[in-house]
Amino acid sequence: MDTRSRAVRGAVIAVSLTPWLMASSALAQAPAAPPSDAPVQEEEAAPPSLTPEELKEIEDALGSDASASQQRAPSGTATPPPSAIPGATGGISLPGMNTGAGANFLDLSFILDVAAAAFTDKEPMQSGAHDPTRNGFNLQQLELSIGSVVDPYFRFDGNIVFSQFGVEIEEAYGTTLALPYNLQVRAGQFLTRFGRINPTHPHSWDFVDQPFAVGRIFGGEGNRGLGTEVSWLAPLPWYVEVLGSITDATGEATARSFLGATSERVQSPLDLQATGAVKQFFPLSDDLSLMWGLSTATGPNPTGHRNRTDVFGTDIYLRYRPVTQAYNTTLITFQTEAYYRRRQVPGDVLTDFNLYAQTAWRFSPRWATALRYELGTAARGEGGARITDPLDPEWTESRNRVSVNATFWPTEFSRLRLQAARDRAGWRDEAGYSLMLALELVTGAHGAHAF
Amino acid sequence: MRPTQLFAAVCAALTLFAASPARADVNVVTTLPDLAALAKAVGGKHVQVQALALSSQDPHFVDAKPNLALALNRADLLIAVGLELEVGWLPTLQVGARNSKILVGAPGYLVASQFVKLLEVPTVQVDRGQGDVHPGGNPHFLYDPRQALAVAKGIADRLAQLDPENAEAYRANLATFTTELEKARADWEKRLAALRGQPVIAYHRTTAYLSDWLGFETIAYLEPKPGIPPNPSHVAGVLAQGRQRKARMLLMESYYPDTTARLVASKIPAPLVTLHGGTDFKAGETYIQHINEMVERLEKGLAGKGT
Repeated sequence: MDTRSRAVRGAVIAVSLTPWLMASSALAQAPAAPPSDAPVQEEEAAPPSLTPEELKEIEDALGSDASASQQRAPSGTATPPPSAIPGATGGISLPGMNTGAGANFLDLSFILDVAAAAFTDKEPMQSGAHDPTRNGFNLQQLELSIGSVVDPYFRFDGNIVFSQFGVEIEEAYGTTLALPYNLQVRAGQFLTRFGRINPTHPHSWDFVDQPFAVGRIFGGEGNRGLGTEVSWLAPLPWYVEVLGSITDATGEATARSFLGATSERVQSPLDLQATGAVKQFFPLSDDLSLMWGLSTATGPNPTGHRNRTDVFGTDIYLRYRPVTQAYNTTLITFQTEAYYRRRQVPGDVLTDFNLYAQTAWRFSPRWATALRYELGTAARGEGGARITDPLDPEWTESRNRVSVNATFWPTEFSRLRLQAARDRAGWRDEAGYSLMLALELVTGAHGAHAF
Repeated sequence: MRPTQLFAAVCAALTLFAASPARADVNVVTTLPDLAALAKAVGGKHVQVQALALSSQDPHFVDAKPNLALALNRADLLIAVGLELEVGWLPTLQVGARNSKILVGAPGYLVASQFVKLLEVPTVQVDRGQGDVHPGGNPHFLYDPRQALAVAKGIADRLAQLDPENAEAYRANLATFTTELEKARADWEKRLAALRGQPVIAYHRTTAYLSDWLGFETIAYLEPKPGIPPNPSHVAGVLAQGRQRKARMLLMESYYPDTTARLVASKIPAPLVTLHGGTDFKAGETYIQHINEMVERLEKGLAGKGT
């Protein structure tokens, strides 16, 4: 297939999606009822059935209304009509100050993560962009998290991260709120929902640093990119969510095993990263829950024409919290994730395997301890021979790391964590040890926690 | 099949999908089991009710389990307490549920606190230095049957709005519930008349509405600030205060750790009365049964017996 026909196919996909999205938003509008502050009069309630003629009349009337309002619509889209934001006199309203009947147009919160660290290695192998990486004090991140409902159809979420030397848009995406058929679309820049830890931010981690598997496979920032995601909640008796996303395949710290730092022109959808996942949840009892995910990501890599990288993963999360027992505030979680990566390189196919397994035990309302084991094997070629990995040339043996920590939460808005680790990389002469003390402060709106 | 026929068939299929199927019941999901019990009392046989949290669970810290999003996905009406009680877990579920009927502002989302005469609404500036403050007011109003009745009336109105065919039934159910609850309340107030004016110690600020109803005085809280666990110096102060004022009992919910409370209760000495945080709706308990059970425990506490 030559370049032109690939471009044409991409265009066809885009064009054929457009009316579908428009139709679904129209469907979503149809059942939308008036807001609750305008009480529905009983006589307004639709009678149980309308004749097809009546429905036709309504549709015609709506059609002519729509064309009339189009003529009145402002020519630009830069400024919304003033009536669209009633009561928005002071710009943003600060969250938490205006509850009850107040307006709330923007939830803002700042999360500060700082750490003091000591490593025995001269060059610690910390692969996460928010990991402490050097002896002394480290600014892990200052995250500005923004969330708001845009209109009845979209919600906006953003995570902007400030480091000492710059600002980065980590995530900024819209989520649909009113698509039919249990569908939800996200669009913008977002962390892909590959596995369990990748889509999360340091605030929700059980450890100071990120598992090295994420840094090795996807990059320090975790797998993310500009793109779009469609997810579907299956109409089944238990929770099954199926999702797929297409994202930009470039980024040294976000799509390392794909195009990475190279910037090639996108000539067909095959030049983008595709991610798919199935997430299932089983409430084994009121106290014990199990979540199981299967993920896959595929995209081009820069080692040659049409060379591709595939990553397969599975994750398990077990959570025991005896809410049915009086006076018991215990929480025990177990989480494990395994990644299998396959890369086509000139004349060979490289494969490697990474995993982490961790367990955390909150033994009192403010105290918890956690233990993590990580493993990453060297890349091997098709015949099982060790091949020099073009991304990590020194990674010629297995690496494993064991981390243990204790956490103290003065309140749910602050956290102190002391963590020790032993990092054994087969290609280094001796194991490296590290000690970190991390402080996290959360201020602003009270964020809602995902499961 | 000719293109026009195909088009017609696709349109018909889409219409079938889009039209909501005829259903007898309104599917109600509530955050707390107390609200579920009230919704069931006024909804009767025309509603299916499910609570997201358990009565034994701290309503501030419920896990946003995905199966709860599944329940919200199928809900016609979501009833929440409001006042930021559920702020840590409900918003995630609402977005994940993919159900525009129950989003903020939709008729299928009802905030119960709007019907309540709120207490402990801060009149001066607050920040989190005061602990886990609720800037909109104290959200633990369902311990007071008078406030619960106002909420039940609000739920009945909303059900009548969403399901006008059965509006009469909802009003009739509300009338029955009102009669029963008012009768029970007169009895409860008589039984607990001796509690009026008595000094009581509580664990968390959950007793505002209960003391407003029953007239007891909460002289101290074991938590130094809302959401901050007890520390030794504060506990010593509470103990001294309890002894000096001759506290009649110590009240706490079963979802808090009990070691400190038991120690303080034994040192005062005063009985430790454990309150069920809510109606055990899953086991079929009604709101009136739940309050009745609480009144029994308070009665025992007055007699010097802990639970």
